[in-house]
Amino acid sequence: MTNNEKVLSVDNLVIKFNLRGQELTAIRGASLELYKGESLAIVGESGSGKSVFTKSFMGLLDANGRIESGSIIYKDNDLAKYKTEDDWIKIRGKEIAMVFQDPMTSLNPLKTVGKQVQESIELHQNLQGEEAKKLAVEILNDVGISEPERRYKQYPHEFSGGMRQRVVIAIAVACNPNILICDEPTTALDVTIQAQILQLLKNLQKKYQLTIIYITHDLGVVANVADRIAVMYAGDIIELGLSEEVFFDPKHPYTWALLSSLPQLGIKGEELYSIKGTPPNLFKEIKGDAFAPRNPHALKIDFEKRPPYFEVTPTHKARTWLLDPRAPKVEPPLSIQKMREMEVKRGERLE
Amino acid sequence: MTRKKIMNDINDNIDPSLFEFAEYDETKSELTGYSNYSFWKSTFQVFMKNKVAVALLILIVSVVLFTAIQPYLPNQKSPTQIYINPETGLQYRNIRPNDPSVSENFIFGTNSIGQDLWARIWSGTRTSLFIGVSVAIFEAIVGITIGALWGYVRKLDAVITEVYNVWDNIPTTVVLIILTYVMKPSISTIIFAMCMTGWLQMARFVRNLILIIRDREYNLASRCLGTPTSRIITKNLLPYLVSVIMLRMALAIPAAIGNEVFLSYIGMGLPIDIPSLGNLINEGRALMMDPNQRYQLFFPAAVISVVTISFYVIGNVFADSADPRNHV
Amino acid sequence: MSNKECLLEVKNLRVEFGKGKQKFVAVNDVSFNIYKGETFGLVGESGSGKTTIGRAIIRINPAASGDIIYNGQKISGKIDKELDSQVTRKIQMIFQDPMASLNERAKVDYIVSEGLYNLKNYGSEEGRKKKVEQALLDVGLLPEFASRFPHEFSGGQRQRIGIARVLVMEPELVIADEPISALDVSIRAQVINLLSDLQKKKGLTYLFIAHDLSVVRFISDRIAVIYKGNIVELAESEKLFANPLHPYTKSLLSAIPTPNPNVERNKIIEVYEPKKSHFDYDSNRPKWVEIEPEHYILANDRELEGYKKIMGR
Repeated sequence: MTNNEKVLSVDNLVIKFNLRGQELTAIRGASLELYKGESLAIVGESGSGKSVFTKSFMGLLDANGRIESGSIIYKDNDLAKYKTEDDWIKIRGKEIAMVFQDPMTSLNPLKTVGKQVQESIELHQNLQGEEAKKLAVEILNDVGISEPERRYKQYPHEFSGGMRQRVVIAIAVACNPNILICDEPTTALDVTIQAQILQLLKNLQKKYQLTIIYITHDLGVVANVADRIAVMYAGDIIELGLSEEVFFDPKHPYTWALLSSLPQLGIKGEELYSIKGTPPNLFKEIKGDAFAPRNPHALKIDFEKRPPYFEVTPTHKARTWLLDPRAPKVEPPLSIQKMREMEVKRGERLE
Repeated sequence: MTRKKIMNDINDNIDPSLFEFAEYDETKSELTGYSNYSFWKSTFQVFMKNKVAVALLILIVSVVLFTAIQPYLPNQKSPTQIYINPETGLQYRNIRPNDPSVSENFIFGTNSIGQDLWARIWSGTRTSLFIGVSVAIFEAIVGITIGALWGYVRKLDAVITEVYNVWDNIPTTVVLIILTYVMKPSISTIIFAMCMTGWLQMARFVRNLILIIRDREYNLASRCLGTPTSRIITKNLLPYLVSVIMLRMALAIPAAIGNEVFLSYIGMGLPIDIPSLGNLINEGRALMMDPNQRYQLFFPAAVISVVTISFYVIGNVFADSADPRNHV
Repeated sequence: MSNKECLLEVKNLRVEFGKGKQKFVAVNDVSFNIYKGETFGLVGESGSGKTTIGRAIIRINPAASGDIIYNGQKISGKIDKELDSQVTRKIQMIFQDPMASLNERAKVDYIVSEGLYNLKNYGSEEGRKKKVEQALLDVGLLPEFASRFPHEFSGGQRQRIGIARVLVMEPELVIADEPISALDVSIRAQVINLLSDLQKKKGLTYLFIAHDLSVVRFISDRIAVIYKGNIVELAESEKLFANPLHPYTKSLLSAIPTPNPNVERNKIIEVYEPKKSHFDYDSNRPKWVEIEPEHYILANDRELEGYKKIMGR
């Protein structure tokens, strides 16, 4: 990451939903900065708010949701203040585009694939007719669809799952956006196809100078694509750092648990590290650290006061009282230590 | 490594004793996601939020109760007796409601042969509701049983579908007319005739619903556990259909009342000596063009509207509130 | 594992869906054994037929041909009532989606006792309650949860209710069909631990069906890799990982995600192209061969020679 130009900066965002008279706080004061040309992965479980968080950048919150406070600054505009569809039209696609999990639901089954890409170009890039078509074919080629001229005329149902996801990506790229948000882009796909799609996204990122936000729960995907990682839990970013920092030197007990519960790090025949319990109910007000009830290393203060961010390095921060100088020293689980050692050894071997 | 706090400043006056480990209770962490929920309680709560439905529910319950107790109230007249004016020896024909010039008081007036409209309307409502509820219950029992077997037991599918196709191709009206024509006109005849046709739609409706949920994983799980078909139907399938079946039943009542009105209209309904909303409306319809006697149509029409609309709205709101997706 | 007792034998199993022109062969001529007390992993991509095999064993999907033999007795096709209820008790299944596999309108108490009601082997009402309580405790849930409805629980808790419902049957063979893929990452480890814990305590045998090789490797003693209805390779887990032979196995292994950015970024994926690898299958049909003890592979004569050369090295 050589570039330090901020493209998007979110500050203290609070998002609430109304559900039948009850109020749910989906995002509880999350802050994030996005740098030009980077890949940021937002990791979290279902219900952690990772999708809601990024949807708010495009004004795609459900009708019963609203931004309560905080700001989303993009090109000197505060997106958090946008209200009308007319405002958002200028952002969606042109500036920020999105790739969803299920390719079938984001494609129009009644239109040819090429036409859908072309429309996206005509809408956002000031090109019409033949010119737009030429570019559409070129983009289809870029996303790895062979014989793009022929495939241009085909319908979505004639494509396999992986190929459809390529088309969805082509449509997003055709808008020529600044920021691309990929919401679980490979979850619906088989492992072998998954790797190909990730490779494709990396290639496109270079070619079109995209800034990409990946939303995923899959740490393998994260390791593959991310420059930086934001870990979300119960509507808040609880740890943020460079990919290497988060994988090899995680600080928040939730990040520890996430990493060390991976079977890849387990030892056969022994117990996997696991966290008990389930994520908190967001209808209730959360006091202190949201993870405290499930945290075997919880301090008394975790139940009293919400931890601030503690800076570990200039690029790495975490919200946990364990980083306070007054807190007792807690070692990360064995598997995390083991992973770090293995990485050091691997590094030595390479040299 | 020096650590900096970003958002807070370091002199935050936190009691250092708070930086001790808290007791960790595994069972507590199990409870974090728990919510106290009961299906019927939530259904009730959601239903009660709809003020219109609650008002109509109170209204319909009052109407039903009133039809039941009305004959036992003091000063009620017979619905079938023809009242004679003792002074003139003539029938009290077409007396307007609460006419002060007549010595006897007819709350809703009388009809063209001198019968008391008030008593006739409540008696008719009683008859019609009885028909409607009987038909709805019969439709529900037969329709659900056959529909459930039809939908769940694959072997029966082809047979029942054939029966359905044949039976369904005979127009309902024709069946109704033939049956009432062949049999002696009476309340039981009309109930029988409507049941013969009504269960068919109910069965198909239940079958389609069951087809949708039949192969969901929880039903496969029950099959793996060796649960017999009868219990899969009663425990796994029907509880999911409660709300929609209730809606169908709620709509079947006004539909049956409407059918009775229709049959009376074409002269195939109940004999004239049994008051029913159908007979009353039919009588009133004949006098509709005379503004002075329009009340004879107005009163029964008002009652049938209230009954129909209430059942319709209550059924819909109940179906919505019994859907767990509408619970918080 | 020297004196292995064979619990389940699948011989030339074939499962078809549909009729006539729309006929689709989901499982084609598949054979394998599951030994008592082991965890047998079945790995494949979506649509490979792995779930169909599991469902054929538990007799939801009928076998078109081939035999399924449990403890020496044939359980596929028509079987008598006695054997049927015996097999129902001894082979049980854990489903993939905990949100879909529990009856929303029944209390946990009924869901867990459903099998008991069917077997009627609990004696008194008291005895049934005791069994339900024990099963809930076994899966780490509080007995007081019995009076609640499933949708009050989170995904991980619901999956454990699904496991409790299986446990009361006291089964011997449990088919776990993607039991963790619908769960959140932090919950998966709980369920994996629970499964291996129960295996130790109750001597269960598992058929573990999954698409995620890293999970299967962690939990399984032996692994079979399935591709489009055919099992292409079967071996002990570590052997398979150390020495994969079939090109499809290789491609799957190369795609396993590693939680290490430095490794993951430089990962090279082997692409499996059946037409290229098996160009001569039209003239030279593949067979299911034991290439070395306990290592089976689907290959024709030409490929076998190649594999043997690799192994000789």
